[in-house]
Amino acid sequence: MSIRDVNAYAFVHATVRALYATMLPGETWESLIQAPDYPAILAILSKTVYGPYLQLDPQELTPRRTAYQLRSHMSEMYEKLIPLTPEPGQQLLIQLWHMYEVDNVKAVLRGVEAKATWYQVRHLLYPMHRYITLTMADMEKMVHAGSVEQAIDLIPHTPYYKVLIHALERYQAEHTLFPIEVAVELAHRRAMWKSLRRLSGTGYQKAAEVIGTMLDIDNLLWALRYRVYHHLSEQEIINYTLPMGYKVHDKEIRAIAAGADISQVVSKIYPRVEGLERFAEKPEASLVTLEHALDRYLIKMCRKAFMGYPFHVGIPAAYLLLNEHEIRDLIMLIEAKSSRMPLDMYIPMLEMHLQSRQANN
Amino acid sequence: MFRPLKMSKVEITVPEHAVLPVTEALARSEVFHPVDTNPVKEDAAPLPASWRSQSAALTDLERRVLEMMESLEIEVEPPPEDLHPIDISAAKQDVSDLEEEVKEAIQGRREALDQLEELSKYAHHLEPVEDLDIQLDTLHHLRYTFILIGVMPEANISRLQSSLDLVPFVLTPLRYDGNLVTVMLIGRQEDAKILNRAARSAYLNPLELPEQYKGTPKEILLALRRDITLSQQHVQEWEDDIRHLHNVHKQHLAVLLWRIRARRTLVSTIASYRKLRFLYLITGWVPSEQVAKLEDGVLTVTDQALIEVSPPSWQERKTVPIALGNPSFMDSFQDLVTTYAYPHYGEIDPTPLVALSFPFIYGIMFGDAGHGIFLALLGWLLLSRKVPILRGLAGLGRLMIACGSAATLFGFLYGSVFGFEDVLPALWLKPMDDIMTILIATVGIGMGLISVGMICNIVNAVWMRDWSKLLFDHNGIAGFIFYWSIVGWSASALLPGFPLPGWPFVALLTITGLAMLFAEPLGNLLQKHKPLVEEGLATYLIESAVEFFESVIGVLSNTLSYVRMGAFAVAHGSLSLVVFIIAKLIAPSQSGFWYWTTVVLGNLFIIGFEGLIVGIQTLRLEYYEFFSKFFDGGGERYRPLKLVSQQD
Repeated sequence: MSIRDVNAYAFVHATVRALYATMLPGETWESLIQAPDYPAILAILSKTVYGPYLQLDPQELTPRRTAYQLRSHMSEMYEKLIPLTPEPGQQLLIQLWHMYEVDNVKAVLRGVEAKATWYQVRHLLYPMHRYITLTMADMEKMVHAGSVEQAIDLIPHTPYYKVLIHALERYQAEHTLFPIEVAVELAHRRAMWKSLRRLSGTGYQKAAEVIGTMLDIDNLLWALRYRVYHHLSEQEIINYTLPMGYKVHDKEIRAIAAGADISQVVSKIYPRVEGLERFAEKPEASLVTLEHALDRYLIKMCRKAFMGYPFHVGIPAAYLLLNEHEIRDLIMLIEAKSSRMPLDMYIPMLEMHLQSRQANN
Repeated sequence: MFRPLKMSKVEITVPEHAVLPVTEALARSEVFHPVDTNPVKEDAAPLPASWRSQSAALTDLERRVLEMMESLEIEVEPPPEDLHPIDISAAKQDVSDLEEEVKEAIQGRREALDQLEELSKYAHHLEPVEDLDIQLDTLHHLRYTFILIGVMPEANISRLQSSLDLVPFVLTPLRYDGNLVTVMLIGRQEDAKILNRAARSAYLNPLELPEQYKGTPKEILLALRRDITLSQQHVQEWEDDIRHLHNVHKQHLAVLLWRIRARRTLVSTIASYRKLRFLYLITGWVPSEQVAKLEDGVLTVTDQALIEVSPPSWQERKTVPIALGNPSFMDSFQDLVTTYAYPHYGEIDPTPLVALSFPFIYGIMFGDAGHGIFLALLGWLLLSRKVPILRGLAGLGRLMIACGSAATLFGFLYGSVFGFEDVLPALWLKPMDDIMTILIATVGIGMGLISVGMICNIVNAVWMRDWSKLLFDHNGIAGFIFYWSIVGWSASALLPGFPLPGWPFVALLTITGLAMLFAEPLGNLLQKHKPLVEEGLATYLIESAVEFFESVIGVLSNTLSYVRMGAFAVAHGSLSLVVFIIAKLIAPSQSGFWYWTTVVLGNLFIIGFEGLIVGIQTLRLEYYEFFSKFFDGGGERYRPLKLVSQQD
């Protein structure tokens, strides 16, 4: 433990601990699940940390708008923790934050392709104000641009521009956003990995347990989806994935690309992950199960970050990812309640609720 | 001074055919602040949508003119002196004619530039394989060999190589260009499918030349270079055309832009008028002294306008726009006030008080003749706008001159010049040697300023005829007497030679304290309102007691807050002392280059760093300690209608 780390991270740690305590407890999750309808969910949320974001005219609080408002909480957390975190951890958090900027780029380009209006696109985005390269005004202009080519031409000041402009030839030839989206995601994850590698010692180890795991899961699931859903060739799977990772390395990705037994490969990396037995028979259903299992694993790793040595960037990163999962689950719950879906269809998908229940047990 | 300009409400009724010339006359007078009365009452006829559609059409015309100006590289110039709004149909015709004239050149240049860029890109990617002696167009049809030349991100090279582990291939980087690389991928034709999919997924974009370019790379490059030269000539020709069009239309477009903007201003203003059955009702505010000028302007364009002028009613006082009539040398101080808020109509404009107190407070805290003169000179330099890079700060010039002058005055009073405390005799005292005196004196000055604030509040209450506020408010007469009774009682208790006994002050404290405590029922009694207390006596007493306690603590803490003036005066001397100690440590002989460099840099640091902090502290004392006694603010800024709006 270095004195420098203790000095640098003491305030961040105290702040994150305080924020961590504001996450929804098991009882609130129970009330939310038992809530009879969408207005009841809003009433419960109004008494939580999300309350201030929902102070809008009830007419305006459609499920889509509520989701946007909940994401505002996440934005505020990132924008609060990034300036408190010292370098090089700060760069890593900014890269983590930019993961949502990449999602915004993808959403905007999809909107452009579908000829959607700004009104339709706006509340699907992550509200981001600071530590960003792409403003809401940029995105609004992109939506109004009329074509994907013109939309990309509007953002030469962002780190995504060169990647997008190069991938544009593929889009023009194939008329699908797939190559563009893959290119921009790969470039961003490479940058995130670089930021992670700039850390050293315990700082790296602890951050890698959270962010490395997240990158691994993304990479692994990409490879699996390319094989199971898209039926891509071995070479394509390799080219559309990352060669580096924390526990998922090139060897595992290549094995999946080459057609190896998925359950064997995955169980070697994550021996405790369940639901791999029937991969050979029902690959698509098993992949969904695996996605949830890996999500739960990431949540576990994030919670683990709060134990032991506390002065590292892994703690704010873990809190931010947990916060994202909480919001994701809330949005799922809101969508389920507003469409009157039966309880048993979505409860197994509420990872944060399940984790808090396990913790209580 | 001291009050916003007296305003009059002007209502003009005009027939439809006169509405445009009257609005133009109002805009030309530059004194009329229009009020949006269009979201109207039920008896009003709906305003013809044509004004709004005209406004939208004019905005579109303005955009088109700006686009032409940008393409022809014409700068937007200030509006001409003699500006005449253009008729919308004439503007449409004019813009269309101009577009017709310039369209070909603009489009031609764009196409030529695109072509040039495209050809240059082909040549750039082909140059690395110039010496390859094969027909490029035959590469796709080779029987045994697969060859692909293209461009890919450098980051993907190793991934592409590893993805092709099981297939024989050669991947040769030919040229690195930023994050992109021109490469040649060679393999077996029988693996073409694998190689193509791998290359595509690694974002290797094949070099696909237009059909007319055939032959070896050398031959193609020759043709490309020839075409590039031709394209450059085309670009040049279009550039010449555009230069010609620039010269021909420069003046016309610059004026047209402003004429369209002026028309748009008029039309969008009319869209906010109230429409009666056959007439338009124009409502707005004018400084009373300008009413005659406005009437003259309107009556010169039509004799069918009915103009009614009236003073603002009591109900309207909150909505009257505020024009501040301070002399121009107070501009900087007026900006300080309006940054906080515009006063209400009928409220004291604190600008003259700030113009006196701000430099005074600043001078007390930053008293040094040398630093003051330096600041004043810097202020003069800013005001003169002689240094282009500092022109944006010209607004601070007068403020810095005033603060610098006050700092100079106090520098003489303290006997301090550039931190040297023994060069000038102190005309009053040296803060470092007489700390208690300066601290007590600054508290005294603070009490004076707080009292001025309370007197302003009393004057405001008289102007607003708010008798309850005048008599019982914490900053009204009761509050004022209470405050000075505390001072008197403290003086009689603490100062042995004080001539008055304590009991009259205690009696005054009790009477005024009770008056403030029961301000609401007493106010209601005075104005014959019932009930005297709204929510029960017990609740009222608790609330009122807490409020009273808060205000007593508040006024005492506000007073003590002024101690910072003395503290900063002492700190200024200490900081100067530190500079000399550092200079002595660097050059113990107290002379020579390094000694004087340290002294100069130290002084610059004090001026920059401490000068800024003192400025912020002064602002704080003005905003929080002084303004809070009397200034509510919240008035709307007076924005007279002009042909060219400020946003343009």
